[in-house]
Formats: sequence, C-alpha cells, structure tokens
Amino acid sequence: MGNTKKMLFRAIEFVLRIIFIFCTLFPFYWMLVTSLKNRLEIHAKVPTFWPENITFENYINAFAQTRFDMFIKNSLIVTVISSLIVLVVSVLGGYALARYRFRGKNVILIIFLASQMIPMITAIIPMFILYSKLGLIDRLASLIASYTVSNIPFCLITMSSFFKRIPVSLEEAALIDGCSSFQSVVRIVLPTMLPGIMAVFVFAFTGAWNELFYSIMMISNEGRRTIPAGLMNFVQKYDIDWGQMTAAGFITLIPVTVMFFMVEKYIVAGLTQGAVKE
Amino acid sequence: MLLLPALLIVVGFMGYPLLYSVRISFLNYNLMAPNDVRFIGFDNYRKLFTDSEIKYVLLNSIKWVVTVVFFQFILGFILAMLLNKKFFGKKIYQSVVFLPWAVSGFLIGLIFKWVYSEHSGILNFMLLKLGIIDSPISWLGDGKYAMIGPITGMIWYGIPFFGIMILAALQSIPTDIFDSANIDGCSGIQKLFYVIIPFIKPTIIMTLLLRVIWVFNSPDIIYIMTGGGPANASNILSLYVFNQAFYSLDFGYGAAVGILMMALLVLYALVFLTLTRYERSGDF
Repeated sequence: MGNTKKMLFRAIEFVLRIIFIFCTLFPFYWMLVTSLKNRLEIHAKVPTFWPENITFENYINAFAQTRFDMFIKNSLIVTVISSLIVLVVSVLGGYALARYRFRGKNVILIIFLASQMIPMITAIIPMFILYSKLGLIDRLASLIASYTVSNIPFCLITMSSFFKRIPVSLEEAALIDGCSSFQSVVRIVLPTMLPGIMAVFVFAFTGAWNELFYSIMMISNEGRRTIPAGLMNFVQKYDIDWGQMTAAGFITLIPVTVMFFMVEKYIVAGLTQGAVKE
Repeated sequence: MLLLPALLIVVGFMGYPLLYSVRISFLNYNLMAPNDVRFIGFDNYRKLFTDSEIKYVLLNSIKWVVTVVFFQFILGFILAMLLNKKFFGKKIYQSVVFLPWAVSGFLIGLIFKWVYSEHSGILNFMLLKLGIIDSPISWLGDGKYAMIGPITGMIWYGIPFFGIMILAALQSIPTDIFDSANIDGCSGIQKLFYVIIPFIKPTIIMTLLLRVIWVFNSPDIIYIMTGGGPANASNILSLYVFNQAFYSLDFGYGAAVGILMMALLVLYALVFLTLTRYERSGDF
C-alpha cells in the first residue's frame, strides 16, 4: 500500500519535471527552428517542427538588412565598460561594507536597498533632461552611466556578502607573513573571491545587455543603438520578418547563455545570499 | 573611503533625478513646446484625477502584478520542491530550468509574440487542431485577450527566480525537523503546511515583496508584444510613464505619473511589511 503510493508520487514528480523542462525549452527551440526555415515554411498552414530545408539566409539577412553588426558592437561597448566599472566599485564598496565598522553604515545600506526600489523608468525623464544638458544624448556614454548606476546597489551588496564569507583570519595570516593590507586583499582575498566576482560581473552584464527603455529613449541615431533598441523597430512593424528576428534573437542569446552556464552555481549563490538575506 | 565612489554615484544619479522629477512634475514641460516651460503648481496632479485612462491603466497594473506574481510563486514553489531531491542529471536539469532568468524581456516578448501570432502562430494552430477553437484568435490584437500573452511571457520569465530563492530556503531546513515530523506521524501535506511553509516564510515574504515591485516596474514584454494596446487594453502604469515621455513628450505629466507610481510603491511596501510582521508575531 505504502509502496504504490510512493510509486505514484514518484511518477507525478517525474511527469512534472518533464513538463517544466518542456515549457522552459520550447520557446528557445521554437525560436531556433523558426530561424532556420525559409519564409514560405515559416508561414506554412501546417507548421513543421523541424525545418524541411535548413537555411541560414535569415542569419545572413539579419546582418545584411539591419545594422545588426553595429548593434552588437554598441551593446558590447556599453555592456563591457559598465560591467567593469560596476565590478571595481562593488569590490571596493563591498569590501568596506563587509570588513569595516563605521558610523552611518546602516544608513548607507538603507540607501542602497531603497535605491533598488526606485523604478528606473521614473528616472527616465530627469535623466533625459540631464543628459541633454550634458550633451550626452545619442551617445553611448549616457547608457554606460545609466546601466552602471542601476546595477551598482545590488552588485555591491551581493559582493559584500561574498566578502563576508571569507574568514578575516585569512587576511591576518597574510599580514603576519609580511603582506601589506593592500597586498593581502589583492593576492589572497580576491583570488578566493573569484566565483563571487564572476557572478557579480554576470549580473551587471546581463542587466546592461538586456536593457531596453533607456536605450530607446537616449539614442535616436540608428548606428548607435544597442541590440534590443535596434531590433525594436523591426518588431513593431506590422509585417514582422520572423525568420530574421528569431535569427537575430538567437545570436543575442549566445553570450548571456554561455556566461550563465559557466557561473550558474555562483549566480544562484549570489541571488540567495545577496540583497535578500541582508 | 572605499565606499565613496559607489555612494557618490548612487546618490548623485538616483537622488538627483528623484528630486528633479518632483520639480518637473510641477512644470508645464512639453518637448513639443520647449519654450513654454513654466511653473503650473498642482495642475499635472489634478490631471491625474481627471485622466480617464489612468484608472484603467492602474487596474490593469493590478491585474498584471497579481496574476503574474501568483503563478510565478506557485510554479516556482513546485519547481523548488522538485529540485530539492536527488535525481539523475539534476545539475544540468537545474541549469536549464533556471536559464530564463538570463534572457532579456525583449527576447521573451519577441518569442511569445511569435507564438501568439494570429495567423502563423503555433498556439492558434494547436488550439485549432485540438478543436478547442474554431477560428484563429487575435491574441494580441483583441482587447479581451491582449493581457494573456504578455502575462504568460512574464510568468515564464520569473519562475526561475522564485525557484532559486525557495530552493535555497528549502535546503536550509534542518533535516531533524523532518525526522521529528515523521515520528509525530505527519502526512506529506501536513508537513508542507506545518513544517516547510512556516520555516521558509521569511524568504517567501521577502521574495514576494521584491517580485511585486519588480513586476510592477517591468513593462518590456508588454511593450514588445502589444505596445500596451489595443486602446490601453494591456497598458500598465510603468509603460504609461514611458509612453508619456517618449511618444507624448509631455515630461511634466509623465513625471507626475512617475511620482504617483513611487507613492504607490512606498505605500505598498509599508502595508505589506506591517501586515506580514503582524501575522508573524501572531503565528509563533
């Protein structure tokens, strides 16, 4: 009796697992399949679940008919620069937050947490006016600044929780061995922090890589758009070229997916130990 | 000293725009008439109360947040329970089911828009084939259905986040609690409601709080799938702010709507925290 119940329970679990993985993968699969079909097959009355004739014309067209190469370049510039700034600032600030006691520490923590609640979108109007006064409209610098700011609070708090997990004794040992405190951080603490550093970098990277509204608002020059904003024009048309868009989408997905799989473990650690448990 | 750069950047770029948008909200500031920027007192706020669209949009926002977060939470919880056991290939399985977290709202909007497409979309094809519907439904073009597409996309996007948070909380439950529950003869369901849920309640509360705010502020998927239309049928407050800024170019009014949004969020956070704290002290 107990055994059949257990078997039944296991069967349900198994089915649920299949359903979850199917629902997760189907959109990706459908995007890939669509991107490999020709126009006729995409709009066929009876959709095919695998392309009859695999074609790469959509990928070629994505580059030929949009300025996709420029979008990629702009996205890379904006994302890499802002993530690196976020990383440096978060390492410095996270270290201070984890190791030192000082007056106003709680106030600072509250400022960071509260700033996470401010909707980016309500700041879009004042930022637009500010950037136009500074002559930054239509320049990638405006996006770099915006993404850096919006990613710092979360990344900094996450980084400090990674620092807290490194025992202070490790640094003290280095100090006794004759390292300066700067050396002990750079040579001893940072290498052990590598997973945390990678996780924070990936947070900042995906945040900036995926952002849409600031990019639409601040950049109007086609050649300076980032990927989401650049492709937006093609998605809002009445007659969307689905082959081309899914091809472009698939390419966009590659860098974040590769990074995600590389550091998934640490991302999970960062998410769960970071801002929320503080 | 080490914190200084972070603090300067955050206060400078977040505090300043915040105060500045309060100022703008009292101005007549329309980019269509850039030379006519002047102080108009509470006019933009008065407009909030007479704007018939805004009530509708506000109602939509509530529908959007409640449905999305509800399903994200339930499904995320189930996912976490499934992942809290050992099975073959679990590591790779977990990486795959968490993947949507890394995908952009833009891309999710794109994929789901294609799935929900009226004439060549796979969903209509399946439903027709199964005989559930007789003619293709205009999922994104018909006001009655316009919210469904973006809502499913958003649910799909957010399940991993709930899954990750709840899984971590589940793994922090000491096993001896389960042992004693077994000795007491608890059934599976009893264990769920009397042991597991009370234990991970703080995580659930924090995650819900953060997610509601986040979903409320994230109109990407709606923007791509329907643009908030037709006729505001799928519009939400955060998208409304963006449209005021980007299409109407009415910065003054846009800023006022933004302030309203902030006020609602603060109010929500206060109410939520008071209620849950109250409940917690009653429970234990």
